[in-house]
Amino acid sequence: MSNKEINLEISHVPQGRLGLWILIAGELMIFGGLIACYLLYRIRFPEWANDAAHTSTLIGAINTIVLLSSSFTVVKAHEAAQKRDYKNITKYMTITIFCGLLFLVFKSIEYITEIHEGHTLVSSEFFSFYFLMTGLHGLHVVAGMVTMLVVMLGARKGENLHRVELAGMYWHMVDLIWIFLFPLLYIAK
Amino acid sequence: MNILPKNVSTYGQEIDSLFWLITTFALIAFVISLFVLIYPLFKYRQRAGVKAEYFTGEKKTHFKWVAIALIALALSDFIIMYAEHDAWVTIEGLPAQQDFHVGVTGRQWNWIFTYPGPDGKLGTADDVVVDEQNSELHVPVNKNIIFDLRARDVVHSFFIVNTRLKQDALPGRVVTRWFNITVEGKYDISCSQICGVLHAKMRNYVVAESQEKFDAYIKALYDNNKPKI
Amino acid sequence: MENTHKISFVNKYLFSTDHKTIGAQYTIMGVLMAAVGGFLAYIFRYNLAFPGQNIPLFGALGPQQYNSFVTIHGMIMVFWVGMPVLLAGFGNFLIPMMIGTDDMAFPTLNMMSFWIFFLSAVILLASFFVPGGAFGGGWTMYPPLSANGYMVRDPNFLSALLSGSSLLILAVALEFVAMLMGGINFLVTTFNKRTKGMTAFRVPLVVWYINIAAVIFMFSVGPLVAGAFMLLFDVVLGTGFYDPARGGDPILFQHLFWFFGHPEVYVLLLPSLGVLAEVIPVFSRKPLFAYKKLVYLALLSAVLSVVVWAHHQFIAGIDPRMATFFSIGTIIISIPFAGIFLSFMATLWGGSIRFKLPMLWALGFIALFLIGGLTGLFLGSNAFDIYAHDTYFVVTHFHYTLFPDIFFGFFAAFYFWFPKFSGRTLNNTLGHLHFWLTFVFFNCTWFVLFFNGLAGQHRRIHDYSAFSNFSGGIYQTFEKFSTIGAICLILTQFIFLINVIMSMSKKKNAVKNPWEATTLEWVADSPPPHGNFPVMPEVFRGPYDYSVPGEAKDFLPQNQQ
Ligand SMILES: [Cu+2]
Ligand SMILES: [Cu+2]
Repeated sequence: MSNKEINLEISHVPQGRLGLWILIAGELMIFGGLIACYLLYRIRFPEWANDAAHTSTLIGAINTIVLLSSSFTVVKAHEAAQKRDYKNITKYMTITIFCGLLFLVFKSIEYITEIHEGHTLVSSEFFSFYFLMTGLHGLHVVAGMVTMLVVMLGARKGENLHRVELAGMYWHMVDLIWIFLFPLLYIAK
Repeated sequence: MNILPKNVSTYGQEIDSLFWLITTFALIAFVISLFVLIYPLFKYRQRAGVKAEYFTGEKKTHFKWVAIALIALALSDFIIMYAEHDAWVTIEGLPAQQDFHVGVTGRQWNWIFTYPGPDGKLGTADDVVVDEQNSELHVPVNKNIIFDLRARDVVHSFFIVNTRLKQDALPGRVVTRWFNITVEGKYDISCSQICGVLHAKMRNYVVAESQEKFDAYIKALYDNNKPKI
Repeated sequence: MENTHKISFVNKYLFSTDHKTIGAQYTIMGVLMAAVGGFLAYIFRYNLAFPGQNIPLFGALGPQQYNSFVTIHGMIMVFWVGMPVLLAGFGNFLIPMMIGTDDMAFPTLNMMSFWIFFLSAVILLASFFVPGGAFGGGWTMYPPLSANGYMVRDPNFLSALLSGSSLLILAVALEFVAMLMGGINFLVTTFNKRTKGMTAFRVPLVVWYINIAAVIFMFSVGPLVAGAFMLLFDVVLGTGFYDPARGGDPILFQHLFWFFGHPEVYVLLLPSLGVLAEVIPVFSRKPLFAYKKLVYLALLSAVLSVVVWAHHQFIAGIDPRMATFFSIGTIIISIPFAGIFLSFMATLWGGSIRFKLPMLWALGFIALFLIGGLTGLFLGSNAFDIYAHDTYFVVTHFHYTLFPDIFFGFFAAFYFWFPKFSGRTLNNTLGHLHFWLTFVFFNCTWFVLFFNGLAGQHRRIHDYSAFSNFSGGIYQTFEKFSTIGAICLILTQFIFLINVIMSMSKKKNAVKNPWEATTLEWVADSPPPHGNFPVMPEVFRGPYDYSVPGEAKDFLPQNQQ
């Protein structure tokens, strides 16, 4: 890697990575706040379990697997970027984006079934939280995919390879949040 | 002009003496700090040929002065905390002797008063509700009045200046507090939490009166209420 | 430098990525918003002094307008004046200059940050013109009042979206995003772009404090962003996160709000304290007292700032035992701040004090803040707070802290660094007039209102006619006195405006280092060109080497060997 791309400065952390760490910390505080509120309510109102029973653990589990495997491919993409292996970067990042797409498709199927069953944003407090948290997370998935696409188009031509790692970090965060949401919204019944 | 308005409750005196205690501490701290701030402005102003002293304050001998001041501040803080603790527990807790129980509910924009009906119990069908602007909450004087505070629409705050009591009323919650008015009279109840357009007009009264007058008021209330049931 | 080729006006002034231009944009925007906030204050103060009368330059003021003006005044002064001027303005101007670098770590992000901030201000001001007017439920936005859409109780999605409360939530959310982007920039820049030799304890205190403020902001704002989403959903989409009838809890929002709201006070306070830490040593010709300890004290207060929030809710019906815990927390957090102020005062002792304008503002800041801090003793005591909460006592207390913080802090910085960043000098006489009148009229405006507060006068009341002891007599006289003070205070600021306009129309005549200060920004030209330094200076010493024994000059610049 050329010096220009990875700008090692005083803290010995490249500044893109440092900035992204701070951004991720901020995002985690937002989701942390939401999750804390949700937990406080769940503890106070055990009857929410009745509503929670209507979420599809199966699709949730499939989506967890989809996201986890996409985290793996994004690591692969990063490895490829370190080797300046443009072909593999493109390959693994495409798979990652595809996984994100798959996640969104499953999520939409879930949403549609739930709304058909009468569980909407306003039907109960649990589903308000459910739609708010998964919806916000979904937006992050979309944002992650768009970032990934932009980075990939550049990396294919060998531009800004360090961004592959940054996009990957963001994607890991999206993953991590889901790892918290899945047990809280799907498994706890 | 009195700085604090007339106190008419049993525990108001505790708040007032707390005020004077804190004022004493604050004034002492104020005078000392002002001296520390202003004295050097005269003593150490720029003079021809006089160079400033060089010390960084990192040494213990220098910083100890700040440390001593901070410890003094912390000490006075804890003295205040100690002094206020009883007042806090008295006001926020409930007295053992509970003479009369009423319900108070905030709504846009007046306080609703609920008296127990002839059965003497609150929360039963025969409760009498007074829901009017400018209405009065009648209570016997020198009695421990327990009230359940609720809010119907938004957050309100029940405030009787002369008793020094303030408590937010929250939708979906019941907060139980008490007061004991020792001087007969009519005092303002205001709402001190902004609650909408006519927040300024949210004003009722508490009327503390002798037991006889109070009994007569309640009786009249029951009589007026009867036909409606 | 790339300055040699011509940059178009749009790129130079509007979409510039230069930290100094962005700092100026933030500052100018903050000052403009302060004018709006001040005008609102004028309107409702006039109404309080002369209830029901037509207000000059405005007209009649209804209760709904009164409520929204009070609310938006608070919002503007905290989020659209304090934050842009103190955090974003100081941060952008000072950080790159003081650590010796050419620009921020992410210049484009920096530019976007300002334009998002600009958008948020537009949305806020637009909310005055929607049906029902701007939100009027207090700057704390407690639900259910805010969740009901305040005025518009129409289930219609569009009218709820365009209601005062949802626009306010939206504006605040965007403002948070802008400040978060700025904060990322400050932290990364300070971490990564320091010049050679600029070790952690050679960084001027103001840079430390801006960064600590940015960290506090980022840590505390997250849960409120989550809470704001929930509130926005309640307003616009009809969820019931805070609606007790549907299993929600309005107190939850209060916790989220104050979990942010109290640390926010320190976000506003720390940058200004940092300015004092730069100004006072320069005009005392003495090293800052206990520089390293001041860093640690601020870090300590940053940690403590997230465990005191519920002292705003002593009477909100929280568990009384919890109140004791938060009362102790509040006492403990006052200690580091007292330590910071005492160290500033200790810096004066043994100095050679020059009463230049920045110094006057700094000293005025300390004097006023002393009153603000000590009245905090009353409110930190949970038992007395039962009485004083939501009265003028609280309002007066926080104006005695926030006014010196935002305005004295800003003016101290302005008079100090204006020659550096504009290359021009200000008129000294007008400057003195501005300071002394501001100081006097501020006290006229606020001091008497302590007595109104102690008399139990509750706040946010359009018209006290329902309360006989406040609608006439001495307390009404105090209201009038305060209003006259406030009008004079506002008029005084025109002196400042005239001074700035006069100096901007003159030639650039500022020297490089007019105050004989040591930090790196004084090494650069006045004004500093794009890129700041021709060659990045190397740093050999700490930021406060004044009157070092055995040296010929009484200051040693950081880049001097
Ligand atoms: Cu009210
Ligand atoms: Cu606070």
